[in-house]
Amino acid sequence: MALNPMEQFTIKPLIAEPLFAIAGHPIYFTNQALLMIIVVVASSLFLTLAVKPGRLVPTRGQSMAEISYEFVANMIHTATGEDGLKFFPFVFTLFMFVLCSNFFGMIPGSFTVTSQIAVTLALACLVMLIVIITGFAKHGLRFFMLFVPKAPIYILPLLVVIELISFCSRPISLSVRLFANMLAGHTLLAVFAGFVVSLGAAGGLLAPLSVAPLLLIVGILLLEFLVAFLQAYVFAILTCIYLNEALHLHDHH
Amino acid sequence: MVPPPSTRRRPGFVRLFGLWETVLTAPDPQRLNDLGKKLAELQTRQAAGTKRQPPSQSGIAFRFTTELVASLVVGGGLGWGIDWLFGHFGFHTRPVFLIVFFMLGIAAGIRNVMRAAKEINAEIASARSSETEDGKE
Repeated sequence: MALNPMEQFTIKPLIAEPLFAIAGHPIYFTNQALLMIIVVVASSLFLTLAVKPGRLVPTRGQSMAEISYEFVANMIHTATGEDGLKFFPFVFTLFMFVLCSNFFGMIPGSFTVTSQIAVTLALACLVMLIVIITGFAKHGLRFFMLFVPKAPIYILPLLVVIELISFCSRPISLSVRLFANMLAGHTLLAVFAGFVVSLGAAGGLLAPLSVAPLLLIVGILLLEFLVAFLQAYVFAILTCIYLNEALHLHDHH
Repeated sequence: MVPPPSTRRRPGFVRLFGLWETVLTAPDPQRLNDLGKKLAELQTRQAAGTKRQPPSQSGIAFRFTTELVASLVVGGGLGWGIDWLFGHFGFHTRPVFLIVFFMLGIAAGIRNVMRAAKEINAEIASARSSETEDGKE
Protein backbone atom coordinates (compact mmCIF):
# COMPACT_ATOMS: atom_id res chain seq x y z
CA MET A 1 0.00 0.00 0.00
CA ALA A 2 2.36 2.70 -1.19
CA LEU A 3 -0.58 5.04 -1.79
CA ASN A 4 -1.87 5.02 1.75
CA PRO A 5 -1.35 8.63 2.92
CA MET A 6 -1.11 7.58 6.58
CA GLU A 7 1.58 5.01 5.87
CA GLN A 8 4.30 7.64 6.42
CA PHE A 9 3.37 7.98 10.09
CA THR A 10 3.74 4.32 11.03
CA ILE A 11 6.45 3.59 13.54
CA LYS A 12 8.46 0.55 12.59
CA PRO A 13 11.37 -1.07 14.39
CA LEU A 14 14.62 -0.71 12.47
CA ILE A 15 16.29 -3.52 14.40
CA ALA A 16 14.19 -6.66 14.64
CA GLU A 17 15.44 -7.49 18.13
CA PRO A 18 14.18 -5.29 20.99
CA LEU A 19 16.96 -3.32 22.68
CA PHE A 20 15.75 -4.02 26.19
CA ALA A 21 12.54 -4.43 28.11
CA ILE A 22 10.85 -2.21 30.69
CA ALA A 23 8.45 -4.16 32.89
CA GLY A 24 7.93 -6.74 30.18
CA HIS A 25 7.37 -4.20 27.39
CA PRO A 26 9.96 -4.63 24.66
CA ILE A 27 11.66 -1.39 23.61
CA TYR A 28 12.63 -1.29 19.96
CA PHE A 29 14.95 1.03 18.09
CA THR A 30 12.43 2.59 15.70
CA ASN A 31 12.55 5.03 12.80
CA GLN A 32 11.22 7.62 15.24
CA ALA A 33 14.15 7.07 17.61
CA LEU A 34 16.58 7.29 14.69
CA LEU A 35 15.12 10.61 13.47
CA MET A 36 15.15 12.04 16.99
CA ILE A 37 18.82 11.15 17.37
CA ILE A 38 19.58 12.65 13.95
CA VAL A 39 17.72 15.86 14.86
CA VAL A 40 19.47 16.23 18.21
CA VAL A 41 22.94 15.42 16.85
CA ALA A 42 22.56 17.56 13.72
CA SER A 43 21.21 20.62 15.52
CA SER A 44 23.78 20.52 18.32
CA LEU A 45 26.64 19.84 15.89
CA PHE A 46 25.50 22.68 13.66
CA LEU A 47 25.13 25.17 16.50
CA THR A 48 28.45 24.30 18.14
CA LEU A 49 30.53 24.02 14.97
CA ALA A 50 29.02 27.12 13.38
CA VAL A 51 29.97 29.41 16.27
CA LYS A 52 33.29 27.68 16.94
CA PRO A 53 35.40 30.07 14.79
CA GLY A 54 33.84 32.97 16.72
CA ARG A 55 34.53 35.49 13.99
CA LEU A 56 33.73 39.16 14.45
CA VAL A 57 32.26 39.15 10.98
CA PRO A 58 30.43 35.85 10.96
CA THR A 59 30.28 33.33 8.17
CA ARG A 60 26.86 32.30 6.93
CA GLY A 61 26.65 29.34 9.24
CA GLN A 62 27.73 31.38 12.23
CA SER A 63 25.27 34.14 11.46
CA MET A 64 22.49 31.57 11.12
CA ALA A 65 23.31 30.24 14.57
CA GLU A 66 23.56 33.77 15.95
CA ILE A 67 20.29 34.85 14.33
CA SER A 68 18.44 31.91 15.84
CA TYR A 69 20.04 32.69 19.22
CA GLU A 70 19.03 36.36 19.07
CA PHE A 71 15.61 35.48 17.73
CA VAL A 72 14.79 33.27 20.72
CA ALA A 73 16.44 35.69 23.17
CA ASN A 74 14.31 38.55 21.84
CA MET A 75 11.21 36.38 21.98
CA ILE A 76 11.78 35.53 25.64
CA HIS A 77 12.66 39.12 26.48
CA THR A 78 9.49 40.59 24.97
CA ALA A 79 7.23 37.87 26.38
CA THR A 80 8.61 37.46 29.91
CA GLY A 81 10.95 40.39 30.53
CA GLU A 82 14.44 40.36 32.00
CA ASP A 83 14.05 37.57 34.55
CA GLY A 84 12.64 35.17 31.98
CA LEU A 85 16.04 35.03 30.28
CA LYS A 86 17.28 32.38 32.69
CA PHE A 87 14.93 30.02 30.86
CA PHE A 88 16.76 30.72 27.63
CA PRO A 89 18.53 27.31 27.47
CA PHE A 90 15.23 25.49 27.91
CA VAL A 91 13.22 27.52 25.42
CA PHE A 92 16.05 27.57 22.88
CA THR A 93 16.48 23.80 23.07
CA LEU A 94 12.75 23.30 22.71
CA PHE A 95 12.55 25.69 19.76
CA MET A 96 15.52 24.16 17.95
CA PHE A 97 14.29 20.61 18.54
CA VAL A 98 10.81 21.32 17.21
CA LEU A 99 12.13 23.41 14.32
CA CYS A 100 14.70 20.80 13.26
CA SER A 101 12.21 17.94 13.66
CA ASN A 102 9.77 19.79 11.43
CA PHE A 103 12.41 20.53 8.83
CA PHE A 104 13.91 17.03 8.88
CA GLY A 105 10.39 15.74 8.40
CA MET A 106 10.20 17.72 5.16
CA ILE A 107 12.91 15.57 3.59
CA PRO A 108 11.12 13.08 1.32
CA GLY A 109 11.17 9.58 2.73
CA SER A 110 12.10 10.65 6.23
CA PHE A 111 9.90 10.61 9.30
CA THR A 112 8.28 13.56 11.08
CA VAL A 113 8.93 13.19 14.79
CA THR A 114 6.53 16.01 15.69
CA SER A 115 3.64 14.30 13.88
CA GLN A 116 3.43 11.88 16.81
CA ILE A 117 1.15 13.00 19.64
CA ALA A 118 3.35 11.08 22.09
CA VAL A 119 6.30 13.35 21.32
CA THR A 120 4.42 16.65 21.34
CA LEU A 121 2.43 15.74 24.44
CA ALA A 122 5.64 14.81 26.25
CA LEU A 123 7.18 18.15 25.28
CA ALA A 124 4.04 20.04 26.37
CA CYS A 125 3.93 18.18 29.69
CA LEU A 126 7.59 19.06 30.22
CA VAL A 127 6.72 22.72 29.63
CA MET A 128 3.83 22.61 32.10
CA LEU A 129 5.98 20.79 34.67
CA ILE A 130 8.61 23.51 34.46
CA VAL A 131 5.93 26.21 34.64
CA ILE A 132 4.45 24.65 37.78
CA ILE A 133 7.85 24.10 39.42
CA THR A 134 8.88 27.69 38.61
CA GLY A 135 5.62 29.04 39.98
CA PHE A 136 5.92 27.18 43.26
CA ALA A 137 9.63 27.93 43.60
CA LYS A 138 9.11 31.64 43.06
CA HIS A 139 5.79 32.27 44.82
CA GLY A 140 5.24 29.25 47.04
CA LEU A 141 1.56 28.71 47.74
CA ARG A 142 0.78 32.17 46.35
CA PHE A 143 1.08 30.43 42.94
CA PHE A 144 -2.51 29.27 43.45
CA MET A 145 -3.56 32.91 43.06
CA LEU A 146 -3.08 32.24 39.35
CA PHE A 147 -6.42 30.44 39.46
CA VAL A 148 -8.21 33.21 41.33
CA PRO A 149 -9.24 36.03 39.00
CA LYS A 150 -10.43 39.39 40.26
CA ALA A 151 -14.17 38.89 40.68
CA PRO A 152 -16.96 39.18 43.27
CA ILE A 153 -16.65 36.52 45.97
CA TYR A 154 -19.96 34.75 45.22
CA ILE A 155 -18.89 33.82 41.70
CA LEU A 156 -15.32 32.85 42.60
CA PRO A 157 -15.84 29.08 43.18
CA LEU A 158 -17.17 28.72 39.65
CA LEU A 159 -14.38 30.84 38.16
CA VAL A 160 -11.66 28.95 40.02
CA VAL A 161 -12.87 25.66 38.56
CA ILE A 162 -13.02 27.23 35.09
CA GLU A 163 -9.51 28.65 35.45
CA LEU A 164 -8.28 25.27 36.65
CA ILE A 165 -9.75 23.50 33.62
CA SER A 166 -8.34 26.20 31.37
CA PHE A 167 -4.89 25.68 32.91
CA CYS A 168 -5.12 21.90 32.55
CA SER A 169 -6.14 22.24 28.90
CA ARG A 170 -2.87 23.99 28.03
CA PRO A 171 -0.66 20.95 27.54
CA ILE A 172 -3.35 19.43 25.33
CA SER A 173 -3.90 22.50 23.16
CA LEU A 174 -0.14 23.06 22.96
CA SER A 175 0.60 19.51 21.84
CA VAL A 176 -2.45 19.01 19.62
CA ARG A 177 -1.73 22.20 17.69
CA LEU A 178 1.78 21.11 16.75
CA PHE A 179 0.87 17.47 16.12
CA ALA A 180 -2.26 18.21 14.09
CA ASN A 181 -0.52 20.80 11.94
CA MET A 182 2.29 18.45 11.01
CA LEU A 183 -0.04 15.48 10.54
CA ALA A 184 -2.49 17.44 8.36
CA GLY A 185 0.22 18.97 6.19
CA HIS A 186 2.04 15.72 5.51
CA THR A 187 -1.21 13.83 4.89
CA LEU A 188 -2.31 16.52 2.44
CA LEU A 189 0.96 16.20 0.55
CA ALA A 190 0.65 12.42 0.39
CA VAL A 191 -2.99 12.59 -0.75
CA PHE A 192 -2.17 14.97 -3.60
CA ALA A 193 0.84 12.86 -4.54
CA GLY A 194 -1.57 9.92 -4.72
CA PHE A 195 -3.75 11.92 -7.14
CA VAL A 196 -0.77 12.40 -9.44
CA VAL A 197 -0.09 8.68 -9.53
CA SER A 198 -3.68 7.57 -9.96
CA LEU A 199 -4.44 10.17 -12.64
CA GLY A 200 -1.29 9.17 -14.49
CA ALA A 201 -2.16 5.49 -14.20
CA ALA A 202 -5.72 6.14 -15.46
CA GLY A 203 -4.22 6.98 -18.85
CA GLY A 204 -6.09 8.41 -21.83
CA LEU A 205 -7.47 11.92 -21.43
CA LEU A 206 -6.95 11.90 -17.67
CA ALA A 207 -3.19 11.45 -17.79
CA PRO A 208 -2.29 15.07 -18.73
CA LEU A 209 -4.52 16.26 -15.86
CA SER A 210 -2.05 14.79 -13.37
CA VAL A 211 0.06 17.93 -13.81
CA ALA A 212 -2.51 19.95 -11.84
CA PRO A 213 -2.08 18.18 -8.47
CA LEU A 214 1.68 18.15 -9.10
CA LEU A 215 1.72 21.95 -9.33
CA LEU A 216 -0.48 22.12 -6.26
CA ILE A 217 2.01 20.00 -4.33
CA VAL A 218 4.74 22.54 -5.00
CA GLY A 219 2.58 25.26 -3.49
CA ILE A 220 1.59 23.15 -0.49
CA LEU A 221 5.22 22.19 0.03
CA LEU A 222 6.22 25.85 0.31
CA LEU A 223 3.34 26.43 2.70
CA GLU A 224 4.51 23.44 4.74
CA PHE A 225 7.96 24.99 5.17
CA LEU A 226 6.25 28.10 6.50
CA VAL A 227 4.08 26.00 8.82
CA ALA A 228 7.15 24.07 10.01
CA PHE A 229 8.77 27.31 11.16
CA LEU A 230 5.57 28.92 12.38
CA GLN A 231 4.57 25.99 14.58
CA ALA A 232 8.01 25.88 16.20
CA TYR A 233 7.67 29.62 16.81
CA VAL A 234 4.16 29.26 18.24
CA PHE A 235 5.29 26.42 20.51
CA ALA A 236 8.17 28.52 21.84
CA ILE A 237 6.19 31.75 22.26
CA LEU A 238 3.39 29.98 24.13
CA THR A 239 5.99 28.41 26.40
CA CYS A 240 7.23 31.94 27.09
CA ILE A 241 3.72 33.21 27.77
CA TYR A 242 3.05 30.40 30.24
CA LEU A 243 6.41 30.95 31.93
CA ASN A 244 5.59 34.65 32.18
CA GLU A 245 2.36 33.87 34.01
CA ALA A 246 4.19 31.59 36.42
CA LEU A 247 6.88 34.23 37.02
CA HIS A 248 4.67 37.28 37.41
CA LEU A 249 1.22 35.85 38.28
CA HIS A 250 -1.28 38.65 37.64
CA ASP A 251 1.19 41.55 37.74
CA HIS A 252 0.31 42.69 34.27
CA HIS A 253 -3.32 43.32 35.18
CA MET B 1 35.53 28.15 -17.62
CA VAL B 2 34.11 27.42 -14.20
CA PRO B 3 33.73 30.61 -12.15
CA PRO B 4 35.33 30.64 -8.68
CA PRO B 5 32.97 29.57 -5.89
CA SER B 6 32.93 33.00 -4.26
CA THR B 7 31.35 34.75 -7.23
CA ARG B 8 29.16 31.95 -8.52
CA ARG B 9 25.58 32.78 -7.78
CA ARG B 10 23.79 29.94 -6.07
CA PRO B 11 20.02 29.64 -5.60
CA GLY B 12 18.73 31.37 -2.46
CA PHE B 13 17.99 28.18 -0.60
CA VAL B 14 21.48 26.81 -1.17
CA ARG B 15 23.08 30.13 -0.22
CA LEU B 16 21.11 30.33 3.00
CA PHE B 17 21.87 26.78 4.01
CA GLY B 18 25.41 26.78 2.62
CA LEU B 19 26.90 24.93 5.54
CA TRP B 20 30.16 24.45 3.74
CA GLU B 21 30.73 28.20 3.91
CA THR B 22 31.56 27.78 7.58
CA VAL B 23 34.33 25.40 6.68
CA LEU B 24 35.94 27.83 4.24
CA THR B 25 38.65 29.87 5.93
CA ALA B 26 39.86 33.46 5.60
CA PRO B 27 37.58 35.02 3.00
CA ASP B 28 39.03 38.13 1.31
CA PRO B 29 37.95 41.58 2.64
CA GLN B 30 35.66 42.25 -0.29
CA ARG B 31 33.79 39.05 0.44
CA LEU B 32 33.63 39.89 4.13
CA ASN B 33 32.01 43.22 3.28
CA ASP B 34 29.51 41.49 1.05
CA LEU B 35 28.77 39.01 3.79
CA GLY B 36 28.24 41.82 6.28
CA LYS B 37 25.80 43.49 3.95
CA LYS B 38 23.98 40.26 3.31
CA LEU B 39 23.85 39.52 7.01
CA ALA B 40 22.31 42.90 7.79
CA GLU B 41 19.84 42.36 4.98
CA LEU B 42 18.98 38.90 6.23
CA GLN B 43 18.52 40.15 9.77
CA THR B 44 16.11 42.88 8.75
CA ARG B 45 14.29 40.46 6.49
CA GLN B 46 14.05 37.92 9.26
CA ALA B 47 12.79 40.55 11.70
CA ALA B 48 10.23 41.67 9.12
CA GLY B 49 9.15 38.12 8.37
CA THR B 50 8.71 36.90 11.90
CA LYS B 51 7.87 39.75 14.25
CA ARG B 52 6.04 42.33 12.23
CA GLN B 53 3.74 40.08 10.28
CA PRO B 54 0.38 39.67 11.98
CA PRO B 55 -0.65 36.02 12.38
CA SER B 56 -2.38 34.46 9.39
CA GLN B 57 -6.14 33.91 9.28
CA SER B 58 -5.88 30.12 9.29
CA GLY B 59 -3.36 30.30 12.13
CA ILE B 60 -5.80 32.30 14.25
CA ALA B 61 -8.66 29.94 13.40
CA PHE B 62 -6.56 26.90 14.27
CA ARG B 63 -5.43 28.47 17.53
CA PHE B 64 -9.04 29.15 18.59
CA THR B 65 -10.18 25.65 17.63
CA THR B 66 -7.50 23.87 19.59
CA GLU B 67 -8.00 26.09 22.65
CA LEU B 68 -11.74 25.42 22.63
CA VAL B 69 -11.55 21.69 21.96
CA ALA B 70 -8.75 21.09 24.47
CA SER B 71 -10.81 22.68 27.23
CA LEU B 72 -13.83 20.58 26.28
CA VAL B 73 -11.74 17.41 26.40
CA VAL B 74 -10.18 18.29 29.73
CA GLY B 75 -13.53 19.33 31.23
CA GLY B 76 -15.29 16.20 30.02
CA GLY B 77 -12.38 13.99 31.06
CA LEU B 78 -12.28 15.54 34.52
CA GLY B 79 -16.03 15.01 34.99
CA TRP B 80 -15.78 11.43 33.74
CA GLY B 81 -12.89 10.80 36.13
CA ILE B 82 -14.79 12.19 39.13
CA ASP B 83 -17.79 10.02 38.22
CA TRP B 84 -15.52 6.99 37.95
CA LEU B 85 -13.96 7.79 41.33
CA PHE B 86 -17.37 8.15 43.00
CA GLY B 87 -18.57 4.97 41.31
CA HIS B 88 -15.58 3.26 42.83
CA PHE B 89 -16.80 4.19 46.29
CA GLY B 90 -20.37 3.14 45.62
CA PHE B 91 -21.94 6.50 44.65
CA HIS B 92 -23.52 6.18 41.24
CA THR B 93 -23.30 9.72 39.94
CA ARG B 94 -22.35 8.63 36.42
CA PRO B 95 -23.67 11.35 34.14
CA VAL B 96 -23.94 14.21 36.64
CA PHE B 97 -20.31 15.32 36.97
CA LEU B 98 -19.63 14.55 33.32
CA ILE B 99 -22.36 16.99 32.26
CA VAL B 100 -21.43 19.65 34.82
CA PHE B 101 -17.72 19.57 34.00
CA PHE B 102 -18.38 19.44 30.28
CA MET B 103 -20.25 22.72 30.62
CA LEU B 104 -17.46 24.15 32.76
CA GLY B 105 -15.11 22.99 30.01
CA ILE B 106 -17.09 25.00 27.49
CA ALA B 107 -16.79 28.05 29.75
CA ALA B 108 -13.04 27.49 30.15
CA GLY B 109 -12.72 27.07 26.38
CA ILE B 110 -14.42 30.39 25.74
CA ARG B 111 -12.19 31.98 28.38
CA ASN B 112 -9.15 30.52 26.58
CA VAL B 113 -10.34 31.80 23.21
CA MET B 114 -10.88 35.28 24.65
CA ARG B 115 -7.38 35.21 26.14
CA ALA B 116 -5.92 34.03 22.83
CA ALA B 117 -7.82 36.79 21.03
CA LYS B 118 -6.32 39.34 23.42
CA GLU B 119 -2.81 38.02 22.72
CA ILE B 120 -3.39 38.04 18.96
CA ASN B 121 -4.80 41.58 19.14
CA ALA B 122 -1.68 42.72 20.96
CA GLU B 123 0.45 41.02 18.31
CA ILE B 124 -1.45 42.73 15.49
CA ALA B 125 -1.23 46.07 17.30
CA SER B 126 2.54 45.72 17.68
CA ALA B 127 2.78 44.71 14.01
CA ARG B 128 0.88 47.87 13.03
CA SER B 129 2.99 50.14 15.20
CA SER B 130 6.21 48.68 13.80
CA GLU B 131 4.85 49.33 10.31
CA THR B 132 4.29 53.00 11.06
CA GLU B 133 7.78 53.18 12.60
CA ASP B 134 9.13 51.88 9.32
CA GLY B 135 7.21 54.61 7.53
CA LYS B 136 8.93 57.30 9.57
CA GLU B 137 12.39 55.97 8.93
